[in-house]
Amino acid sequence: MKTVSSLLDAHWYERYKKISRLNIRSSIYDVTDRCNLRCKGCFFFSSGEHERAAEEKDVNKWHSFVEKEMDRGVNLAILIGGEPTLCMDRIEAFYKRLPTFCATNGLIKVDRDRFPDMMVGLSLWGDAEDETILRGQDTFKVTSANYEGDPHAYYLYTITPKQLGKTEKIIQKIENVGLKVHMQLLSNDEDVNGFSWQEDELVAIREEMDGMLDAYPDTVISSKYYHRVITTGEMLGRKFGWSECPSVTILRDNRDPQPKRLTNFIRWASDLKTVHRCCTSETRDCSTCKDGAAHMSWVMVNKRAHIKTTEDLQNWIEVYEMFAKLYQFIPW
Amino acid sequence: MTTDATQTITRIAEIIINELKLEDVTPETFEPDLDLVDEVGIDSMDLATIALVLRDEYGIRIDEDDYPKLTTVRIIAEYINAKREEKE
Repeated sequence: MKTVSSLLDAHWYERYKKISRLNIRSSIYDVTDRCNLRCKGCFFFSSGEHERAAEEKDVNKWHSFVEKEMDRGVNLAILIGGEPTLCMDRIEAFYKRLPTFCATNGLIKVDRDRFPDMMVGLSLWGDAEDETILRGQDTFKVTSANYEGDPHAYYLYTITPKQLGKTEKIIQKIENVGLKVHMQLLSNDEDVNGFSWQEDELVAIREEMDGMLDAYPDTVISSKYYHRVITTGEMLGRKFGWSECPSVTILRDNRDPQPKRLTNFIRWASDLKTVHRCCTSETRDCSTCKDGAAHMSWVMVNKRAHIKTTEDLQNWIEVYEMFAKLYQFIPW
Repeated sequence: MTTDATQTITRIAEIIINELKLEDVTPETFEPDLDLVDEVGIDSMDLATIALVLRDEYGIRIDEDDYPKLTTVRIIAEYINAKREEKE
């Protein structure tokens, strides 16, 4: 039987042991059904998720809801759509009790006196031109001023095909304001011209992402294996899709056989009653889904499948470390 | 070690091997003190699967809060035996 220590030298084994018992149990929460931006390609609005449930406005209900989530074993709250910072009281209901991550467009600054160490992920969709086309304004100007040098914030750089050849300029801008960056891919399902990935573009962007990680290792939080999985949709010879996705809401998961999945994962709508199918939209074709969190979780939950060769296991460790850094379970 | 304890260890090893589809190991060669997380690489979902089989086999409930303590086959065997004694 292949054991972990038989595949790793002392350095890698120590790295493995730092993450092997983290036992992260995340769930995702829509905090609002509104946003102060309306971005082309944002699945939350394009798929009508904002109309599926009316947000719960009584903050006391948010507090009791979070208590119940903790009883369910959740130890990481990931706050997303529409725009969480529109309702700071709701964010606080999570933050006071749980490790909390808040994905935001960053236009409204999280008050660091109130949320001193909450990890904030700032969405960025490209350079000024792409940001303007897709989001109506260049958000970087505002968000970089709001969060410059903040050790508990990083950019979620959602790369479009139009960003090919331009990523270094963005990474440099981020480095210059003293922030980190994690790269993911936008797979647009709204037919926005030039924003759907072709095979040759995926090959090219993978090479570019690898290059950015090599050139800016202190700024880019990523791994080459993650780049491979997200651009090819393949892991250990398996194809990503409905039968493999780890982040399907447990209450909606009737797959047989059950794949390896996130324990008790639920994506809740903002009425605190409705659940969404998964971490992205129900209209998404799973076979072409590029959701970054789903793909990194896919790797993470398939640990034992990676205990075959030294390279496989090191790849798994790097992806898990990436996740653990992005959600503050281990330092940068 | 009593025969009963040895049998329990072997049976738990067999369950783990079968449930996790471990290769190149038998219940007899499974090292009972091998760390299941640090060396075999099992995670909480694996443990939940194993716990269900153990519940059916031994008629005991394994509390989820106890998962982190169940780090080796020998420790699981001791845990099961203690739970069964509690019931008697």
